[in-house]
Amino acid sequence: MPVVAAFVMPGLPHMVLKPDAPAWQRLGKAATAAGAALAAYRPDTVAIYSTQWIAVLDQLWQTKPRLSGVHVDENWYEWGDLPFDITIDVALAEACVAAGTKSGLRSKGVNYEGFPIDTGAIVAAHFLDPGHRQPTIVTANNVYHDWAKTEQIGGIVRAMADEQNKRVAVVGVGGLSASMFRRPIDPAEDHIANPHDDEANRKILTALESGDADRVRAEAAAAAGAGPTDFGLKHLAFVLGALGGKPGKATVHGYEPIYGTGGAVVEVPA
Amino acid sequence: MSQGEILAGFLAPHPPHLVYAENPAQNEPRAEGGWEQLRWAYERARKSLDRLKPDVLLVHSPHWMTNVGHHFLGVRHLSGKSVDPIFPNLFRYNFELEVDLELAEACCSTARDMGLVTQMMRNPNFRVDYGTITTLHMMRPQWDIPIVGLSANNSPYYLNTKEGLEEMDILGKATRKAIEETGRRAVLLASNTLCHYHFHEEPDVPEDMSREHPQNYPGYKWDMRMIDLLRRGKTREVFEILPQFIDEAFAEVKSGAFTWMFSAMGYPEIPGELHGYGTVIGTGNAVMEWDLTAAAA
Repeated sequence: MPVVAAFVMPGLPHMVLKPDAPAWQRLGKAATAAGAALAAYRPDTVAIYSTQWIAVLDQLWQTKPRLSGVHVDENWYEWGDLPFDITIDVALAEACVAAGTKSGLRSKGVNYEGFPIDTGAIVAAHFLDPGHRQPTIVTANNVYHDWAKTEQIGGIVRAMADEQNKRVAVVGVGGLSASMFRRPIDPAEDHIANPHDDEANRKILTALESGDADRVRAEAAAAAGAGPTDFGLKHLAFVLGALGGKPGKATVHGYEPIYGTGGAVVEVPA
Repeated sequence: MSQGEILAGFLAPHPPHLVYAENPAQNEPRAEGGWEQLRWAYERARKSLDRLKPDVLLVHSPHWMTNVGHHFLGVRHLSGKSVDPIFPNLFRYNFELEVDLELAEACCSTARDMGLVTQMMRNPNFRVDYGTITTLHMMRPQWDIPIVGLSANNSPYYLNTKEGLEEMDILGKATRKAIEETGRRAVLLASNTLCHYHFHEEPDVPEDMSREHPQNYPGYKWDMRMIDLLRRGKTREVFEILPQFIDEAFAEVKSGAFTWMFSAMGYPEIPGELHGYGTVIGTGNAVMEWDLTAAAA
């Protein structure tokens, strides 16, 4: 069992930077619970796909052994900084680069001091690796890759984990509906921007709970066709691909609004 | 205090390749050259800027994209290392810049008074985006003129092109008013590429110019049509067809800098000076100048 479990996490920083807002506090508690659940799977490595790490040329993978520093989100900077300290499983990342390119998905490693690590990966690591000891790989969202190619990327992680005999937990970092409020709001009064988004989000979560991959694909496609979603919900494609297209029945640890968008913390067993 | 004025506006695109190819001390990677026509275009623009002697450069960059309103750099001194997330192999630039805080705050408050959501960015650890840095470096590598940095609110993408660009129009008008009221002699920099279709693979040697050409012919024709109109001062016509250009050429001017700049300048029907045109990884880039002082004279 190379991929032992999968998780879905929101990538917006609100539950880290502004945990006093009720909805974001509840979501933060759900993310903390997901961190405990992840630890129980005893993964050798955590594999993160984040919608906020945008790539346009290749499929990029972090290959710098240690990513550390202080990140400031370009939108939510007024609430503070996001320190990070992530240890990369370089062997697995490099294997994914090689396997991706070999399969026709041109891939590259990224190993540069000062490379801007995205908010989503940092938020996920904050909750899933609070001790900064968990070997991790992080890969990008190439905006030109569709759902099928993104499932393929998840499949590459699965295959390389198998080849290296590693227990890997994968994390799809991203939101659900993406209708964000355009004006400042009182965080205490945050809500999903409109009922249609809320309905679509709940259908996706129900599909995940059913363990039916085709139903997840269908609900994600329907949501993406009906309104703004976080990059077509491709982080769910990554999760499905990593699970070999056979997800277990998911547990929704939390579902809340984040400035009008939908954010969910979900655990999907293999 | 005398009334401030906008001296000129420049279309000043931000491919990091141009900084890379120039090999400045601030950038870590080394190049063998490349993209000379565009870099020589920027040399001409730099000479114009020397002659204009502005108090401040204002730059609107699509790579600081904000969701809730229009944001302004609001820390007097910012420094750090900017690594381009798309081309980290080409752009790892150590920057240091001074912000004209008084003007930035005036732009922010004036735009708010005119109905926009605005915000000052006060976090000293903020990483300035590579679009802002590339445009500023290419225009003024000495970094000796204070700047105002404006974010690109995502309204043209989130709402629609028309509504989004209407916001940029208001932002431009507010910028002009703030410049006039603070007495600044200002130059505006619109950090935008034209046709934005690009190749999806990079050559092994990025500066291998035998691999550089427009990504597609229709996009190139669109660029030439727009540049021709701009060179003839047909500003009204440019803005009439701008939405079609954006749709058909995937033009980066959608992000708002071009509209912001022209709005601030009052959409002058004066010929733009084309300093040069070239492609970068297939995208169309023009360095152009509208000298309002010369037009007034």
